[in-house]
This record gives sequence, structure tokens and C-alpha cells, in this order.
Amino acid sequence: MTLPRVLFVTGKGGTGKSTVAAAIALALSYRSPTTLADLDRRMSAAAALGATPTDSTSVKVTESLDVIALTPRAELEAFIDRIVPIRAISRRMLRSRTFGYVTAALPGLEAFLLLERLRIMAGDAALEDRYLVIDAPATGSAVELLSVSSGVKGIAPAGTLNRLADSIEGFLKDATRFGAVITTTPEDLAVREALETAATLRDRLGVVTVATIMNCVPDLMFDTSELAAMSPLGDHARLAVRRNCAHEKAALATPRFAADGISTINLPMMFTPAIGRVELEKLGRVLDAKLICP
Amino acid sequence: MKPKARSKESAHRKSIDLHAQSLVICLGPGGVGKTTISAALAVRAATLGCAVDVMTVDPAPRLLDALGLEADSSEPVEVQLEGIRLARRNESNRARLRALRLDPKRTFDSIVARYALSDAARDTILANRIYRNLSGALAGVADYMAMEKLLELAANPDTDLIVLDTPPATEAIDFLDAPRRLLELLNSRAISLLGAPAGLFKSQLRIVDIAARTVLAAFDRVTGLNLLSDVQSFVRSFDGMYEGFSTRAAGAQDKLRASDTAIVIVTTAESSRIAQAREFVGALAGADLRVSAMVVNRVLTELPDAKELASAHIPPSLKKKLKRNLADYAALKTREEVSLNALRESIPADAVLMVAPDLGREPRTIADLAEIGRSIRGA
Repeated sequence: MTLPRVLFVTGKGGTGKSTVAAAIALALSYRSPTTLADLDRRMSAAAALGATPTDSTSVKVTESLDVIALTPRAELEAFIDRIVPIRAISRRMLRSRTFGYVTAALPGLEAFLLLERLRIMAGDAALEDRYLVIDAPATGSAVELLSVSSGVKGIAPAGTLNRLADSIEGFLKDATRFGAVITTTPEDLAVREALETAATLRDRLGVVTVATIMNCVPDLMFDTSELAAMSPLGDHARLAVRRNCAHEKAALATPRFAADGISTINLPMMFTPAIGRVELEKLGRVLDAKLICP
Repeated sequence: MKPKARSKESAHRKSIDLHAQSLVICLGPGGVGKTTISAALAVRAATLGCAVDVMTVDPAPRLLDALGLEADSSEPVEVQLEGIRLARRNESNRARLRALRLDPKRTFDSIVARYALSDAARDTILANRIYRNLSGALAGVADYMAMEKLLELAANPDTDLIVLDTPPATEAIDFLDAPRRLLELLNSRAISLLGAPAGLFKSQLRIVDIAARTVLAAFDRVTGLNLLSDVQSFVRSFDGMYEGFSTRAAGAQDKLRASDTAIVIVTTAESSRIAQAREFVGALAGADLRVSAMVVNRVLTELPDAKELASAHIPPSLKKKLKRNLADYAALKTREEVSLNALRESIPADAVLMVAPDLGREPRTIADLAEIGRSIRGA
């Protein structure tokens, strides 16, 4: 495997980011110890694997897969606990309105601490030969999160914080330690956002995109002569065209990513009444063959 | 909780009466098509004869084109309704649609420039390194600015309805509550005291203030940032502006709770989005804000009848494939129904549940938006 230690899974809202993150983590865990870190307060990726972590202690899903909830808030609390040794006071302070104002004025602080935590986790993962899959926020917020270290450098041109920001930037740029996985669907809007995100990550932050995961791609079921034959059938024909169309859109998008040097992995549309463990395993097998051990 | 009597009458209400509203606010998670639904509702209201303003926050490029907006149009622009069938013209028909795109940074700059008591205060605010360097710094600025702009638009007697699209939120209340939080920050006595020299004012500080101060001081010492003084000077430069901000924010809060304001939650049928939408409803109720409607966007259109296939004159192999295709989409429809039912159970008694069928393509023109607006229906 030549994957970076940390796979940062992001994508436009509604492209199945959490499902894909869960499927990647599941597939990786068959080959190596894996941790899924859920940055989403609702823990959708963790829930897809049947786990409900409540704080930053990890929950075991299988022998080689565990799930952890990471929130900026918890990182801030841990930071405060380190500075204010008396727990009763630090807790009261975190609940106080005054402190709320300060963190509201400095939202970058929480995000910065979260990135620092990821950097440390990546170091530990390398020592344990473990992989880290992150269910990250949707694209806009994800870029904002990763940009926070350069923002911090802007307000701290020198000193400890500046050095810390430097090491975070180095971590994000290091393709052996950190890489983005961008989810999309065949829809134009999602494809465009994925392309823009990959370009922003590369140009602004030096982050490598490992692959684009094209989610919800139906198989091509009908050929041209069949489409012609069914045209008097009205709604049935429209439904057939809809399926073919999604497949063709995916096929058209692949070279656009390739032009930017990014490979695309198609995941089949799951035509099932629900997405459960069986479906995740299916998606995981595709990801194993195309992403993990290509 | 709402009085029970209301639920009876609303059981018959299938859709939202756009004529009866002066403000429609669309809230919802990211990626569900909030901007599309906002624009579609605005076009719909205009075709019904209303004078409408739609304010969007971050429209997709094609939607920007559809609305005839430039990338930086922060003042209302008249949208051409050509090719759209309008309601019959009469005195009550004031059909007009204007669109504007909110640029929070620019609105903030202009408001600071307008209300700052001195040029020095203005420059202090605009040059503050916190404000300059961290995008999204001062959480609530963008949301506060939307409210400011909203009040400005609402003051126009020639406008019947304003449709407000909001930034994607993880918490429903974030947007509506942001102005209050920003104002509290600006008016915070404690925060000014935080930056004061040690010893001074000590008697006025509570133990948590002292602890917060300790942390920030330690943070400042470690980092050499002097953030305390920055936050403090930022807050202080708002001296004298607070009154005006506060009055307008209170006005906005009243507007949100007015009887002719409709809060609409937009979602898709995806199970995680539905869960999020349900949380939104709860959070809004907790803040005494009433949800008028939920719109589930991009639902599958009605599936064709399998019986039609049995009698169709097509090769058996093709018939078999079409049957499989139908069964595949029926499975997706089932998934969607489960989500919709979950939503039906949790929707407030006096709110309506509506669906917007999937066009099967990205809306590119006003006609597309009109079509979506027309097809939004009770479910």
C-alpha cells in the first residue's frame, strides 16, 4: 500500500462522504489496523459502522477497526485543561459566557488545535503501522479548516504558534502522511466542486488528492438500439434514460479529473432500500481493488 | 409548545400560501439545494403576482446566471421574467422579481463605515488583524449582515415578499441566533476587563473571568500574540455604535417571529439529512421559532406502472431489463419513503410537509426555477 497515513475524506454535501469514509475504513481494516476519525458532530460515518463514540476515546468496531469522535470543542477543552490545572475551574471557565465570546472571536483556535491533534495522530499511526480515515466536513468548511494554519501564521509572524503552524503546514504537504479523498456524484455541480476543491487544496495548501471517488454510478444497462425500441414507452423510457445518463455523466467526468492528474474510482449505485453493512462491504471491495491495492 | 387547536385547521393546509407571507427564510444543511428552492419559491411568488426580492448567499454559478446576477452584485438586480406565464394582470398584481447576492465582508465594511463614530474607529476595526486574517473570524458577522440587509429590504413598501436563502448550517439556530451572539460579544463588559492590567477591576471579575483571563494570558505568553489587546481594542472600537446595532438586531428578531414570516427547512430524503432536519425543528422550537414548512428537495418522481410493460410490444430481453430498472428505482423509492415517513412523524402539527421533485437536471434558467416552484407540492 502506498497510501498516506491520513486519508482526509471530503466532498460536496449529499455526495455520500460519510458512507465512503466508512467503506474506506472498513476495507483498509482488513489489511491493517485502522482508525476512523469522525469530525461530524452527528457521527454519520461512525453510525454507518454501527458505532456511537461520544467523545475522543475510541470505540472498537472490529479487532482491527476503531472509531473516534474528534471535535474542535473537545480539543479546546483538552488544551484548556493543560493550561489550567484545576479541573473544577477549567470546566467552569469553559461554560462561562466570557470564554464563549473569546472563542467566538477566535474560531481559528479550535480548528488549529484539531489540526495539531491530527498531526500527532499521524505520527503515532506511522509508528503503529495504522491508517487513519477522517470523515471531514463538506468541501467549503474542509478547505477553511485546513487553511487555518496559514491564517494563524498571519496573526503570529513569529514565535511558538508560528512554528506550530509551520509544522502543521509541513504535515499537510507531506504526501506520505496526509492526502485528500474527494467524493462526488456524476452530477455536474458535484463534479465541478470536486475539481475546484482539488485545485484549491493543491495550489493553496499543497495537499495531494489521492483520488476522486465517483459515488452512485449506475451500470450502463441499455444500448442505443434498445433506447430507440423503447421510446414509445414514455415513463419507462425516461427512467431508462435517467440511468444511462448518470452513467454517461460519470464517464465524461473521469477525463476532467485525469487532466488534473487525479484518478477517479467509480462506486456502483446501490439500488437497495437501505445502506447497511452489506452495502458497505460491497463498496469496500471496490475500494480495496482500486484505491487500497491497485 | 403550540396550542393544539391549530393542528386541526392545518391538517387541510397542503402548501404554503406565499401571498400571505412577507418573509420566507430557507434554512437547511449544506448540499440540499437551499438556494435553488429559495429562488424557485421567489419565482413562484412573482408568477402569482407578488413583488419579490430574493437574497442569496452563495449561489452556484449557473443559478447566478439564471438570476442574471453578476458575481459581485450586492445590490438588488431586476430579474427578467420573460417566457414565464404570469398571473392575470390586475391591481393586486405587482409581479416583479429582484435578486441580490450577499457579500458579508463588503456589507460589514460598508456598515462599519456608515455607523462608525470616527474615521479612527472605522480604521481600527477594518485593520484589526483578527478580522483580517481569519476568514470566518467573528462568527456571526456574515449572518448579522444578512439580517441588516434584510431589514433594509423590508423597509421598502414596494416589496411584498422577501425570500432569504441562508448559508449552510450544521445547527439551525446558528444563523438566526448569530446577531445576538455578535452583539453580546461587542457589548461584553467582561471582555474589556479581560485585557485590562492585572489588579485593576479585579473586584468586578468573577472567578471564571479570572480563569479565562489566565488562560488567554498564558496563551498570549506562549505565543507572543497579544490577542487579548486585539480582542479588546476590536470591541472598544465599537463604542457608540452598539446602540444602533442593538436596535436593528432587536428589529430583526421581531421580524423572525412575526406572523407573516415563514421559516422553511429544506432537506433531501437522504437519511442523514432527514435526521439533521429533524434536529433543526427541535432547536428552532427551543428558541420559540415556528417552522412553517419543510421542503424535501429532489425526491424521485412517480414511477411508471409495471403493468404497462407486460403489454408492451418490445423484445423480451429488453422487457426484462426494463423490469429490473424499475425494480432498482422502486428500491430507491422505498428508501425515500422510509425517510419521508420519519419526517412526517416528527414534523410540528402546524407545519406542512412538501416535496420538490427531481428535475433530472441542474436548473439553468428562470423557466427551470419556475418549473420547480410550480411542482413543489404537499406530501
